[in-house]
This record gives sequence, C-alpha cells and structure tokens, in this order.
Amino acid sequence: MWRKLRSLAAWGPRRLCTAPGATIFALSSGHGRCGVAVIRTSGPSSLKALQSLTAPRALPRPRRASLRLLSDPRSGAPLDRALVLWFPGPRSFTGEDCAEFHVHGGPAVVNGVLEALGGVPGLRPAEAGEFTRRAFAHGKLSLPEVEGLADLIHAETEAQRRQALRQLDGELGQLSRGWAETLTKALAHVEAYIDFAEDDNLEEGVLEQADREVQALELALGMHLQDARRGQRLRSGAHVVVAGPPNAGKSSLVNLLSQKPVSIVSSEPGTTRDVLETPVDLAGFPALLSDTAGLREGVGPVEQEGVRRAWERLEQADLVLAVLDVTDLAAPTSRDFLDAVVAPLACREPKGSSPHLLLVLNKCDLLPSEGPCPRPGPYPYLLLSCLTGAGLDGLLEALKKDLAVLCGNPSTGPPLLTRARHRHHLQHCLDALGHYRQAGDLALAAEALRIARRHLTQLTGGGGSEEILDVIFRDFCVGK
Amino acid sequence: MFPLRGRGLWVAATLSRQHLPSARLSGDSAAPRSPHFDVVVVGGGHAGTEAAAAAARCGSRTLLLTHRVDTIGQMSCNPSFGGIGKGHLMREVDALDGLCSRICDQSGVHYKVLNRRKGPAVWGLRAQIDRKLYKQNMQKEILNTPLLTVQEGAVEDLILSEPEPGHTGKCRVSGVVLVDGSTVHAESVILTTGTFLRGMVVIGLEMHPAGRLGDQPSVGLAQTLEKLGFVVGRLKTGTPPRIAKESIDFSILNKQTPDNPSVPFSFLNETVWIKPEDQLPCHLTHTNPRVDAIILENLHLNSHVKETTKGPRYCPSIESKVLRFPNRVHQVWLEPEGMDSDLIYPQGLSVTLPAELQEKMITCIRGLEKAKMMQPGYGVQYDYLDPRQITPSLETRLVQRLFFAGQINGTTGYEEAAAQGVIAGVNASLRINCKPPFIVSRTEGYIGVLIDDLTTLGASEPYRMFTSRAEFRLSLRPDNADSRLTFRGYKEAGCVSQQRYDRAAWMKSSLEEGIAVLKSIECSSTKWKKLVPQASISTSRSVSVRALDVLKYEEVDMELLAKAVPDPLKKYTECRELAERLKIEASYESILLYQLQEIKEVQRDEALQLPEDLDYLGIKDVSLSHEVREKLHLSRPQTIGAASRVPGVTPAAIVNLLKFVKMVHRRQAVENGSSPDDPHLTDTGKFQEL
Repeated sequence: MWRKLRSLAAWGPRRLCTAPGATIFALSSGHGRCGVAVIRTSGPSSLKALQSLTAPRALPRPRRASLRLLSDPRSGAPLDRALVLWFPGPRSFTGEDCAEFHVHGGPAVVNGVLEALGGVPGLRPAEAGEFTRRAFAHGKLSLPEVEGLADLIHAETEAQRRQALRQLDGELGQLSRGWAETLTKALAHVEAYIDFAEDDNLEEGVLEQADREVQALELALGMHLQDARRGQRLRSGAHVVVAGPPNAGKSSLVNLLSQKPVSIVSSEPGTTRDVLETPVDLAGFPALLSDTAGLREGVGPVEQEGVRRAWERLEQADLVLAVLDVTDLAAPTSRDFLDAVVAPLACREPKGSSPHLLLVLNKCDLLPSEGPCPRPGPYPYLLLSCLTGAGLDGLLEALKKDLAVLCGNPSTGPPLLTRARHRHHLQHCLDALGHYRQAGDLALAAEALRIARRHLTQLTGGGGSEEILDVIFRDFCVGK
Repeated sequence: MFPLRGRGLWVAATLSRQHLPSARLSGDSAAPRSPHFDVVVVGGGHAGTEAAAAAARCGSRTLLLTHRVDTIGQMSCNPSFGGIGKGHLMREVDALDGLCSRICDQSGVHYKVLNRRKGPAVWGLRAQIDRKLYKQNMQKEILNTPLLTVQEGAVEDLILSEPEPGHTGKCRVSGVVLVDGSTVHAESVILTTGTFLRGMVVIGLEMHPAGRLGDQPSVGLAQTLEKLGFVVGRLKTGTPPRIAKESIDFSILNKQTPDNPSVPFSFLNETVWIKPEDQLPCHLTHTNPRVDAIILENLHLNSHVKETTKGPRYCPSIESKVLRFPNRVHQVWLEPEGMDSDLIYPQGLSVTLPAELQEKMITCIRGLEKAKMMQPGYGVQYDYLDPRQITPSLETRLVQRLFFAGQINGTTGYEEAAAQGVIAGVNASLRINCKPPFIVSRTEGYIGVLIDDLTTLGASEPYRMFTSRAEFRLSLRPDNADSRLTFRGYKEAGCVSQQRYDRAAWMKSSLEEGIAVLKSIECSSTKWKKLVPQASISTSRSVSVRALDVLKYEEVDMELLAKAVPDPLKKYTECRELAERLKIEASYESILLYQLQEIKEVQRDEALQLPEDLDYLGIKDVSLSHEVREKLHLSRPQTIGAASRVPGVTPAAIVNLLKFVKMVHRRQAVENGSSPDDPHLTDTGKFQEL
C-alpha cells in the first residue's frame, strides 16, 4: 500500500543491540578532574568492548591489571594508555562479564573512552543505579553494601537529575523537548491510525502528515548530530592536517608545533612517506596533528601510497595547514598544490562543511631582505620560518582563531553535547527513524517510532502510552 | 426453554451428574440448610459467565447467581464482538479455553478482520453477532458445563468471617445473602455486577434506578462494599437508540460486506458456522449539521451530558463528539442485530436526549429519513471500585477470597469483561486449593496489560483496550495467543482442556520445526531470484540467503515458497493456519529477537515479589520519601516491576525496595533454616518464544 517493503534485513540482529538487556557502561569513579578515572562495563558484550578498544593486543588475563593502549575502534585514534581489567562472570562486581578501564582522569580522555564504548555495538550508557541493580540481581551485594550503595545511587540520580535540568534549561533542552513533542505527536497519529482508522473517521492524510514530520525530524537530528561534532572535537582534538608539496617543510612545522621531534626532517624530498599523528595542545585547544607525505606524482610505490594516504587525510581534516616553500612558489609541484588543494578550500562557503585553511609560506628566512615577497596567487597567507621561528606567533594566533570556531565556544556557542549519553540516544533515535521509513508494515513502522521516542525521552523525561492516548483523544474524534 | 426457572431457584447443570452428584441441591434429605459451593459468581454477563465457566473448568463446584437466567449472555450494548485490541483479548480468552470466542464462531452474522493491511500484530478480529443466537448458545454452554450450577436471585449482602492468618485482608468472605434472606455459602466469591451497583438509567432529564433498561440495580451490595471500606467511584456509559430495519433506506448508503473466507475467533475452529454469502452486510451513513443543531439546542434537556460523573477522554456519545469536535461529519455504522432481528444498531449514535428528540435527530440523517425508533438510547451511571484495591489475581486486598471482574473494576467492553472473568474464575479456584495465583504478565498478553494497568494505575475513565497500550505489541499478536497462554493455562491453572492443549502443542512444535527448516535452506540471492521471480530480492550482493529471509518479503508467502522448494516445504502449506503463522514469524523475526531481550528484563523485575502486606506508610527499614510511600500505598505493586511502573517512583526508591526484598528473603530463609540464596531471581521462563 503506502510502504513498499524494501528490505526487512535492515532490522537484522546486529543493529538491534540497544535493548535494555544489553551491556552497559559508565564512569564509576567521581566525575570531574581526578588522577585516575575508572570506567566500567557490565554485560555480555564486555568482552567485545575490551577487545575492540585494546586491539590488536591480546585479552588480558582475568582479574589481572594490564597496561594497554586504548584507541577508538571506529577512527583508530589513540585515546589513552590505561590499566585494563577483565572480569569474566560470575566472578565480577555485577556477576556478569565486566571490564574496567583505569584511565588518566582528564575529561577529554574520559569522554573519549565513553564515546568509544558507546560506538561498540551492544553497549549503551547505564542508567542511574543500574550496576547496583545488576549486582543485586546476581546476588552479589551484602546488605550493608546495598545500604551504602542506595545512598550513592540516590546521589547519582540526583546529580543526573540536576545535570539533566541544567541541560534541559539550555538550548539543547529546548531542542530535545521540541523533538520529543514532534515525535510523540507523530507516533500518536500512527497509533491512532492503527487503533481507530477502520471504525472512526480520522481525517485524510494522517499518515502522510506523520511521514512528513518524521522526515523533518530525521533531518533536524542528523544536522544536529553533525553540528555536535564541535563538542567532540573539544575532547579528542580538532583534526589538523599539514600538507604541501615535497620538501616544503611540513615535518619541520609539525615538530615546531608539537615541540618534539615527531617527524624525521631532511632536505631530501619525500622523506615523510606515511601519515604521522601526534596529539598536541595548539593555542590552548587539543588537536590531533597529522604530518603527510609531500604531494607529487610519486616516484616509488611506497611514496605513492604515502601520497594516497595524504589525500585521504585531507578529506578528513578539520583544518588544513597548507605549507609551501616561499622560495619555490613557481615550481610545478607548488603550482599543482595551489590549484588542487588550496584553491578549492579557499573559495569554500563561509558556513560550509569543508575544512578551514591556513596557507603558510615557509622558509621566509631565505627571502632576500629587500624586494617584494613572492605571492602565491590571490590567497591570504602567513610567512613563517620553521628554522628561526619567525612568524610563529602570528601562526599560533591564526590557529587559535580557527580552532576556537571549530571547537565551539562553550560560553557563546550552542550547547555542546559533552555526554556520551546524549549522543548515544540521539544517534539511536535517528537510526530508529530510518527504520520507520523502511518498515514492512505499519505495526513495524510504529515500533520504530516507539523505539525512537524511548531514546529521546531518555533525555527529556516523560514517555509512556498514556501521553500517546492523550494526544490521540485530543486530536481525533474517536470512540464509541 | 428454562422450565425450571419459574418454579424454583435451581437450574441444575445436567452434565455434571457423573462428576458431581448435585446432592446438595436436591437429593439431600437433611434439614434445609444453606447450600455450599466452592465458588459463587454473582452476575451472568460477560465477566460472570467466563468466571463461572473457568472456575468450573478448574474443578471447582461453582454457582452462578443472576437476576434472571434468561439474561445470561445478554449483549446489552453493541451487537458485535472483537475489534482492534479487543480481538486480541478474545484470542487470549480462547487460549485459556474461555467461552466467548467459540460462542461468537457459532453466532456471528458478519465476520471481518480489521487492519488487514497494517500488519498481523494489529489485525483486529471482529464480528457482528446475532444477539439472540449468542444468548442461546451461551446459555446452552453455561447450563451444560460440568460442575456449574445456575440460580436466579439478587445478592444483597456478603457473609463475612474471621480472616485467614497469613493473608492480607481484614476479613474473609464465606458466602452471600440473597434479597429473600436466604444464604449461599462459598469458599470464594466473584462479583461481576457490571453497571448494576447503584445503577441509574438516564434519558433526557429522567433518571431512574436500573442496572440496564428494565432491570433492577443492586443497592444493598453497593452499600455493603462501601461500608467495608472500598473506595467507590462513579462512571457513566451509554447506548444508542435502536431503529426498525425496514424503515431504513439502505439503497442510498455505502455497503460493507463481510470477509470471504471468514476468520474464526477460536483456535479450535477452522471456520465459522455460517457461509460468507449468507452473512449480513453493514451500512455506513454520516451525521450532518442538522444533527449538531438538535444536540446543541437541547443540552439543557440532557442531564447525562451535563453531569460531572467521569466519562472517558474519548468520545463515547454523539453529544461528546459534537461538543468536542464541532462542525464535523461523524460516522454512523448501521449494524444488524441478528439474522431474524428487525432492529438496526446505529453504532456511533449513543445519545441521552429525551426520546422524542432522539427520533427527530435520527430522521435528519441520510438513509434514516423515515426511520422508526424502536427503543431510545440511554445513559447508565454506576458505581465502580478503584481497581488499585485488587491484586493482579483480581482478589480484593480488603476482603479475602473476594474477587472482582468486569465493569466493577472500571472497564468497558464485553471483551475486557470476559478477559477479567477468566482470570477471576481461575484464581478463585486456585485460591481455594492453596495454589499460587495465575497471573498473566504484560509481556505475555493483553490480559496482562489490562490487569496491570488497572491494578497499578487505577481507572479514571472507563478502561478500554487499545493496541497502543501494549509495549510488546509485536510479540502479543492474535495469531500466537495459544503459544503464549495455553500451556500455562493447562499446567498452572488447569483451565485448559486436553484437546486444546494437544492442538496448541502440535502447532508449537510444527512452527518450531518449520522455522528450523526455513533457516536451514540457504541459496544465493541470484538463485532465489530465479526460484521466486515474484519477489523483489536484491541480487546486488552475492550473499547466501535463508528461505526464512525470502519469506519476509511482502509478496512471498509459504505457498509461493513451497512451489519453489517443494521438498521439504510442501508439507508446511497443508495447514492454512500453520502456513500463515510461519509467514508472520518470518516477517517479525528480527524485531522479535530485540523485543525478547526487553521482555526478559521486564520479567526479571516481575519475578521480584514485594510482600503483600507491606505497610508502605509505616515501614522503617526502607528509606522512601513520603510522596513515594503514598504512591506505593495507593497502588500496592506486587512486584518490583510493577513498582517501577508507578508514576513518581524513582530509581533510588526501587533500589531501596530491592534491598528490602532481599532483607525479607534473608529473614525468611533464616527462619526456615534454608540457604539464604535468592530464590526470587531465577528466570521465570514464562514467556513462550513462539
């Protein structure tokens, strides 16, 4: 009829791991800055979580602390060097399979790990008191322990409530409430169509209206989640890619900015053949700095691969530091680079999604002290000498300006989604809205909306079928 | 038809003789002493008949007390059964071997499945029913049920005695007092008084005491219940006028024809008693501004609409439709009342205007210009008891062994009443035999949703079932009610016959086998495309596809699939129901896996029992806010799961309750000298996966 079954396979089990019976994770030490933070998971997917964050290293022996490099399984970005522990059930805190990550306590690291865990299929953030409930359910807590934990959970619930209130007061709260309202209404109309359309006369176009609302919501959520990457960058660092023709001094710049010898520097073109990454603090903002191979028609297969990777990295960049040899601007490699990389980035839309660009002309110490400076075309540029450090202050100032925009200013910008929880629920809400479109029958479509609404009301509160009935009876003349 | 009725009190069940000599009724030579039954059911409506039959099926000697035997099985309002949500309830009643589905399969005059295009989870089995036939068939069933006796009489009071130790409740019911002063003793009593508790019938400004037009209300019983301390509320409902069939011009109206073939309500029936071509049509007409005008001009003559007695948020009467959704055209379905009935029931025209204005209003409607009103519509106001005063077994907390079912609990609808009737009947019987109560969880059935909603949230308007109330709608389908409930009904309640059990067991094993076979057949998508060209199988990725996945496509059914792979699939198409159910299981396979996880979580919480006699306002061992205490005190949840659904109960409160549960179990374990392991955390295993 109105929905063609495209493929029910979209509902395949691998996408369905967000049920409450799934594996939960949470920061189980205090919030805020502290020396070491403990992040805990509980449930059948704990093993998978541990493996994917510590890959490719082997699983640690049960109940033995082991040092591992944690990295985000999706991006491969390193998160922290941490102590990890593996507690196969039932000999664990909750009685289920548990994993513990003892990480350095900075908020960036903690959020990074929480977010990485949120991306592991089958994992979701724990609700207040959920660890205790599970421990209790498996007979793991003695009475005095429950006593103490009940107070803790009370505090946790309160803190979560206060936090939710703070968030709900802000722009995000308004947005979320608006979304939840739209979704509740759309669901109510679909439910009304299921429960009443055959007997009572609902107005024409009830379903079409719901379809439109869901579509608009999908768009709004999608845009918001993209926008919310600004919050993410504040934690894992904006992605700054240094690129340019061979021998322009890219590696020198990377070493200068990170204040340590990250890359090997030589006068030989094509020294850097792979992408080298280093997390740095740039003008007060965390950033992930990538050194790339000089862009030219490669000589050997290894360098060609390096060039391919450099292009790939440019695609992912938030900010491109384009480096040219100021004394060599007329060279074909320089001209090609200006045409292929700088030109498209420089004429980007002011609010577009393409990365920011800073054009740096290196080796200004080699310029003759007199005479006009050679220009790289119509683009704004900065002069720098990695050798003498001349121009570094100006570059840092420019970086600061761009990074501040990229990372969002918490005091003026839209509220940042700093909690893995928010992202998790919004993302799953969005996924479920996608299922709505693909559902094979109306009962399945309504189920997708129910799941989407459940995720959203995790953020806003409310939910439940009575609210739906309220809307149905308010909007439609039904009953007999 | 009931020769005994006029002469005396007893209409004995004839078939019961070989099981139970009706000695107590007639043969006993002892002095006239008060008769004694295991279960006494007060009321012969849809809750009462199901309750009495269920108690008798469970092996209890049961007495059904009713004002008049000839009103047993009366359909007092609409001439139809089932619908969306309601049809789900009927399938579950049938899965527990209840009566109404089977009786409907023998009495319908127009069978139609609603929501055919919206997915099998929300199919709504419905039928227009011949009132006379239904009543006849129901009375035949009731009067031939072993162990069940029927007596005419109005119950005026309850006989109460000292409470049993070890149970909550301030006293225990041990029988009933009839209006003539005679008594009947009983181990359990079920009240299914419908709208009869202080019932008032309203037409226009006239109001007179009656449970139904022409029947006396129960006033004494209402007073007794109030005196016992039950919280009483008042609800209202209504029914439309009846119109003479030959006075309607059907030729200008939209005609709705029944389904062909008819889908029966009962799992035991392959087909219904009547051929589709012999069934009666329904017709559709609409209101118009002239109808609105008559209603709006005469509101001052309509006390039912003005009264503050709580009506529902939805629109039960044409007055509420016109008042809340003005300037709109409203549907009126003209439904037959029976094969040889000359009455038509105008569904959607429930009205309480003075009779002459009702007739005037009717004749404004297209097709009804010359309509003759045979009986006016009227409103009924009646007492109900806050259902938070009963447990999920439907036993009252105040009075031991007293059960309530049907409209007395604030519900509306035949199906809602029947569902509660079965549960009350089963539990009244189990209670006597000191067996654990039979409780259907929300995860297992609409019956569970209904009773859980009533007992934890109460009813502020007549409670009607909608599929939107069920969280696990995709699992609680009309097709699989037997897999969900029949086995439990057989093993735990004893209310299910061997024949039904065997059939459900055969179906379950065939389904399991069928699904396993469908999973085992794997081909490349390209090969499937060749085998089943009708299906829009994507061949873009060369992956191996199971037959079960092919069956998921809308355009594929078992018939088609069996043509492509006759061996071994052919045999699964021989039973139409099996083939259809395999298709449904395939369509919902993935989402059901997901729902199963959630269901398990809910069931884990429901396995955690809270002590029945917990004094939430008084207990000191639990730290709970005053607000939470009040809420828990009102709802008295029986499990942690139910407690977590009470609005305003926080996660911290739940953890504190958990702690309390653990402490209680510890204490009990120490007292019994057994190991203090948690006995309450094993998987209940109640949910049948198919």
